[in-house]
Amino acid sequence: MATVQQMPLSSMDMGSVYGGSSSKVNKPMPKDFPMGLRVLVVDDDTTCLKVLERMLLECHYNVTTCNMATTALSILRESKGGFDVVMSDVHMPDMDGFKLLELIGLEMDLPVIMMSADMRTSIVMQGIKHGACDYLIKPVRMEELKNIWQHVVRKKWKENREAEHSDSFEDTDHNRRVIDDAEKTSSGTDATDNICKSQKKRRDVKEDDEGELDNTDSSSKKPRVVWTVELHQQFVNAVNQLGVDRAVPKRILDLMNVPGLTRENVASHLQKFRLYLKRLSSAQHHTGLPISLPDAGSNAEVPSLGSLDFQTLTVSGQIPPQTLAAWQDELFGRPAGSLGMPEMVQPVLQQASIQGAKSVPVEHGIVFGQPLIKCQANMPKQFPQSNVAVRGLSSGFPTWSSNNLGVVSGSNLGGLSSTQNSNLLVPMLQQQQPHPVLSESHHAINVQPSCLVLPSQVSKRFQAREKPVLVNQNSVLVPSQSSTSLQAENNPTMNQNSIFAPPKSSNSMQAGNNLSLVSRNSSLTSSQGGNNPGLINQEPMGPSQSSTSFQDGNDPGLINQNCMVVPPRLLTSFQEGSSPAPISYCSSYKNSAIVDNSLLSSQSNNAQLGQAQVLDEGFKDITVLNRYLIPKSIYSSVPSCTDASAGWRAQTPDGNIGPINQSPYLVPNLKNIQGAGAVSQTLPDQGQGRNLGFPNLSNIQGGGTVSQTLPDKGQGRSLGFIGQGTRIPCRFAVDDIESPTNGTSPDDDKDILNKDFFGLNGDI
Amino acid sequence: MAATALKEQLNGLVNSMFAEGLLDEQFQQLQMLQDGSNPGFVAEVVTLFCEDSERILADLTKLMDQAVVDYSKVDAYVHQLKGSSSSVGTQNVKLACIQFRQFCEENNQEGCMRALNVVKHEYYHLRSKFETMLQLENRIQAYETKQQN
Repeated sequence: MATVQQMPLSSMDMGSVYGGSSSKVNKPMPKDFPMGLRVLVVDDDTTCLKVLERMLLECHYNVTTCNMATTALSILRESKGGFDVVMSDVHMPDMDGFKLLELIGLEMDLPVIMMSADMRTSIVMQGIKHGACDYLIKPVRMEELKNIWQHVVRKKWKENREAEHSDSFEDTDHNRRVIDDAEKTSSGTDATDNICKSQKKRRDVKEDDEGELDNTDSSSKKPRVVWTVELHQQFVNAVNQLGVDRAVPKRILDLMNVPGLTRENVASHLQKFRLYLKRLSSAQHHTGLPISLPDAGSNAEVPSLGSLDFQTLTVSGQIPPQTLAAWQDELFGRPAGSLGMPEMVQPVLQQASIQGAKSVPVEHGIVFGQPLIKCQANMPKQFPQSNVAVRGLSSGFPTWSSNNLGVVSGSNLGGLSSTQNSNLLVPMLQQQQPHPVLSESHHAINVQPSCLVLPSQVSKRFQAREKPVLVNQNSVLVPSQSSTSLQAENNPTMNQNSIFAPPKSSNSMQAGNNLSLVSRNSSLTSSQGGNNPGLINQEPMGPSQSSTSFQDGNDPGLINQNCMVVPPRLLTSFQEGSSPAPISYCSSYKNSAIVDNSLLSSQSNNAQLGQAQVLDEGFKDITVLNRYLIPKSIYSSVPSCTDASAGWRAQTPDGNIGPINQSPYLVPNLKNIQGAGAVSQTLPDQGQGRNLGFPNLSNIQGGGTVSQTLPDKGQGRSLGFIGQGTRIPCRFAVDDIESPTNGTSPDDDKDILNKDFFGLNGDI
Repeated sequence: MAATALKEQLNGLVNSMFAEGLLDEQFQQLQMLQDGSNPGFVAEVVTLFCEDSERILADLTKLMDQAVVDYSKVDAYVHQLKGSSSSVGTQNVKLACIQFRQFCEENNQEGCMRALNVVKHEYYHLRSKFETMLQLENRIQAYETKQQN
């Protein structure tokens, strides 16, 4: 490639060349690169495997071999970030090599090199189509193996560049120019290659707004910025201050006042944020739901509340990173699930709320930045179609059709946002929400998978509402008090759906802080007066049904899996669909959004769903444990919103999501987890959270296993939650790099939508 | 001295195998990968290859014995054998496999039967040479170890 910019391999600027694919953390390249490159070789032929192993060792790589594709997948899932490149045979007995290739690409976003003794053009072509970085003909020679590091490097650079890219159009043009140059300079035998590459680049450019930036100026290489929750919060605050429409990177940067952050970083982040908001708002329009998720189409797949909301998440099992990425992606408006960091979701959410609820001024308080449920006047009556399934909303609430809930129905996992529910931005923030979202009776608000962040300001909204019940797959936590509440509390991470609404003030949800997060189900405890921790289970629950009604008390409703704890005030705003949909994002390895259910099902357990909310007695701190389904292998721990102070954080591969506040947390019941996924829930109990064992999963139906891990770090005593791993396919993309679609490609969404993501077949 | 003689014998054997087309450059690559830290590498690979091949040949024989031959399965096995033989550098077996695949594609039963026999023949011929080779290597190894002690 004539125009490839020079980047010395050993440059530390490379950022995360290594480090697997998931995190965006900048990792300096090892000094002796490519030595120590971590290669996973998959081949059913033991002879070939042995030979390759020896050769790779000779190249001074770290080699791991396995002769079954399924083993390889589990190895990869278990050691997230543990490999740099995968080499796989094409013809294998247990799984087609191309299928493995796709799965790896989706879940882990690792470069995959195919190998075969079969050199037919058609087969090689298939390899390319499935995304192979390279195709080697057996017998593989040493020289070829010595060069495989280039694929790792190329990928990382591309990711870095895309992350820093601030002006996609410019780059696109630039790329095109470069491509033209490349074609011109190609010569002789290289001509075909160059042209192919150019064509490929062009295609990429077309597909991806950001284009392939591998030929932009090398000077822009910077270490990747990690958008942490805090950082993102600052970003969102700055944007809010400036006004979404008028926010420009330079001014945002100034307001943020973060040393080391560059205008380009902010610009690219802003771009993503805007895309996300756009997505939300378009979804909203479509569905009429407040904060609409981008694709209404996905509604269909949203599992009804009744069913395990999480299910959608878990549907088939774990949520591969990409699902998370996909979710994030959704949030950010990037279809392919290439969401940036989980943390980004927050801002996106906020932004979404900002944008979405035009009518309602968003008060700064978007605490979480999670998709806020917009409880705006425009809350469509019909919720039903919206994905937001507010179950059990009592009268006045449009019933959130089961579908609605956003469990991220197959469609977009990634986006929870796509499900309407998912991004319910809670306009609640705005005090001026015209009408209480929640009708009198407590209502379960379904929060779609996406997290809703309800700024406490919403409080006003909840006036009339008694018990806002948030039901949601994702829990939405609505801070009962002022907007700051969430913030201060570090909003629980919104995991898949966790919305935290620390009910601070008593007048929240009617009488008290009832944050009832109603998770899809019935067990929503309607919080009425008082803080009743409502545990919401997956069961569809209407506000009325709440098994534990939050009546007078301050029961922080715990939402199961997707509980949204909405402070009374907020709850009101969650009216139809305004449930904040917690956004759960899992760090995903890859951006590609579509999560293949099959992926999940094959996993054993990984996804952790749901969020548990930990509500402390006074609802002071609501800890939302976000559980998102994350394939265990991928995520080491279940995301939990443990870190209250941190606001919400998407779960990173390592761990926790979100703040977890101390206090007892209610573990949502996962009942009726249907669908293929396993619901797993980990309730990290980092603080002193005491997990009130709430109903546990029962009836897990479907293919999944419910797994639940309750890490009990602090003194929390976790009450068992769900059991086995759940996997929720989601399109999360932590690194939204590779995703070819930027959220703008309808096809992707459709794919997601159409897919039975979590094994949901459109019925909840 | 005995070791030297053995080594010469070994080299002679291997060279003749190259000359006959039993082995190709790939085998040389394997030889290069064997060094002090990996003394038994070639032996290991050869052994694995023999095990795999015999298993495949047995399966192939069974498949071909059926009344109605499932050529896709046959092809899959032959493909696998081709892959491993090429990775080891056993050229004659590889070439025979290529031929075999040709017949498979044509669904030519008689051709396949013949091709299978050719593969077997080549394989067994190779195997006997490999056995000799490994024996020589072991003896050389034994000598060298003894000398070191």
